[in-house]
Amino acid sequence: MSKNTLVDVKNLSVHFPVHGGVFSKRVATVKAVDGINFSIDRKQIVGMVGESGCGKTTVGRAMINILRHVAPDVEIGGSIEYHFGDEIVDFASLSSSEVRKYRSRVQMIFQDPYASLNPRMTVAQIISEPLQLHTDMTNKEQAERVGWLLDKVGLQPEQARRYPHEFSGGQRQRVGIARALATNPDLIICDEPVSALDVSIQAQVINLMMDLQDEFDVSYLFIAHDLSVVEHISDKIAVMYLGDMAEYGNAQDVYHQPRHPYSKALLSAVPLPDPSRKNRKRIVLEGDVPTPLNKPSGCAFRTRCPIAQPACAESKPEFKEQAKDHFVACPLVE
Amino acid sequence: MPEQQEISLSILKKRWLKFKTLKRGYYSFVLLVILYILSWFLPLLVNNRALILSYEGEMYFPVVSGYYAGSEFGQDVPGETIYRQLQATWETEDSDNWMIMPVYPYSPYEDITVTGNKMYDPPSSTHWLGTDNTGRDVFSRLCYAFNISISFALVLTILNYFIGVLIGGSMGYFGGKFDLFFQRIIEIWSSLPMLFVIIIISSIIRPSFFLLIFIYTIVNWIGMTYLMRAEFYREKSKDYVAAALSMGQTNFKVMFKHILPNAMVPIITFFPFAVVGGISALVSLDYLGFGMPPPTPSWGQMLDVGLQNITKAWMVFAPISALFSTLIMVVFIGEAVREAFDPKVYSRLR
Repeated sequence: MSKNTLVDVKNLSVHFPVHGGVFSKRVATVKAVDGINFSIDRKQIVGMVGESGCGKTTVGRAMINILRHVAPDVEIGGSIEYHFGDEIVDFASLSSSEVRKYRSRVQMIFQDPYASLNPRMTVAQIISEPLQLHTDMTNKEQAERVGWLLDKVGLQPEQARRYPHEFSGGQRQRVGIARALATNPDLIICDEPVSALDVSIQAQVINLMMDLQDEFDVSYLFIAHDLSVVEHISDKIAVMYLGDMAEYGNAQDVYHQPRHPYSKALLSAVPLPDPSRKNRKRIVLEGDVPTPLNKPSGCAFRTRCPIAQPACAESKPEFKEQAKDHFVACPLVE
Repeated sequence: MPEQQEISLSILKKRWLKFKTLKRGYYSFVLLVILYILSWFLPLLVNNRALILSYEGEMYFPVVSGYYAGSEFGQDVPGETIYRQLQATWETEDSDNWMIMPVYPYSPYEDITVTGNKMYDPPSSTHWLGTDNTGRDVFSRLCYAFNISISFALVLTILNYFIGVLIGGSMGYFGGKFDLFFQRIIEIWSSLPMLFVIIIISSIIRPSFFLLIFIYTIVNWIGMTYLMRAEFYREKSKDYVAAALSMGQTNFKVMFKHILPNAMVPIITFFPFAVVGGISALVSLDYLGFGMPPPTPSWGQMLDVGLQNITKAWMVFAPISALFSTLIMVVFIGEAVREAFDPKVYSRLR
């Protein structure tokens, strides 16, 4: 762990109990996230990929501590240690009231720009809300800051008085970005920020986010399922499968020399705009993703893994640093 | 004009503008609001005490200051001055004393004990809607009862909604054990036979305006909790709530600043119908004799007396038509509100 570390996630697990029967007894557990480790440095972009339902979004929401709100009985294990200056704050163990004063340091950009802005508030009200909560700015200073932020994200400051429904999807997402940047956070969790947008708009928004990352010196946890987007912007890539982390390492290493069989399959599915490589081998996985209610024993991926062996069912593979800064959860490819 | 296009309207503002285009509901709303505001100034408009009175060079304001014995103004009557009589006397005597009476100089409380009042007086230019079985002026009582009915319905509805939003909203928002607990309480509570409870309570304690509201509220707050629970439950899973929480907003602020404005549709659309319910509730209680204590003017009591004297048409006709027109105006408002909240542009009701 270097001095530059912003957040260190150790053995994070998020389990949702499932209740059933007459007396609402606990009948099962959804292991949405099952013990993952990674860290994000300052000014770093970490891309997190995986198919639907693998726990990417849950990791993001655990990292800003808002899971308990929707599911009060969620069980969060492990630790999410933020290094704010000299302070080390563990978001996994703090209650939501204790976490409140650190909220300005970690912000989130949401997937759906239509649902993430309150339809009853003007853009100015939306963006100035974090300012009201975390700064002592006067109304005038807030209005100036809102105008400045709108300008930064490529909107006109005059649009501050409008309501979200008067904007297009891309513009709304820009408002969401401005809101996340309002308090100068250290980390922004981007939960598939472009997947709800048109492809042409996606590029604009991603370029904007890259520019702003430079300017605001902020780290991103960029959750997506589009590997080519993630490769384009990330310093590091984390690949998740069914609540486990399959592979984590530098973007170039993971993208160009994937080691885990799941990463290989995922990467072979990325469409390439290069006709000379159209004959590359496509790894097609058999079967469906197992349910997180009843995960396979040992390695969760073994049911679909092309190189699985009987030993894979016995114990969970160790998440091991197989090369420098390149962690892989598969002993068979070592 | 480009400047006008720049103005952004909130959803509620747009709905208000649409409501204004629905003439029947809008004019009912305006009329009812004006009548209700006027009804607070009824003592200045419909009363048996003089507004201003000048007696031997001194000014008196009986409407404001209240009781003056007849002897103070040289009138030979026992008890309070009868201003109408006094005015007539002064006019015939052509004296320097003068007074200004309200537009309609009859009080809802003065009965046959006051000289000049007769029982079952049919409608005339003096008593516009006649008098009832105790000689009280029907028109005057009708006006005062309007104020009481609307006030009762409004206070009752607002109180019910306040409690319903608070409890229902918390149930939907917090969920879990809190929700489960209150759901069971509501299930038990809603099975109370409300009419009997009110009859029993009002036969023990003498009911008053606020006691009746209190009793009704005990049972009626439940209706709104169902709707609010569903609304808050739906809204809380939306991302803007997660955004507000991730910003560090308190639960209270999230509930009432973020979710409530998005959960206003059932509150506003049901409001006029709840007012209708409140008015009818008071009328039926008064009709049965368990409502406001006599001699409080009330439509229910007037209806009761009217039906006992069914041959005196004005005593039945007056409260029924007042009740009917008030209720139908509120229903028009309710329909227009529903229409204004309808996202489809062309529907019915034009």
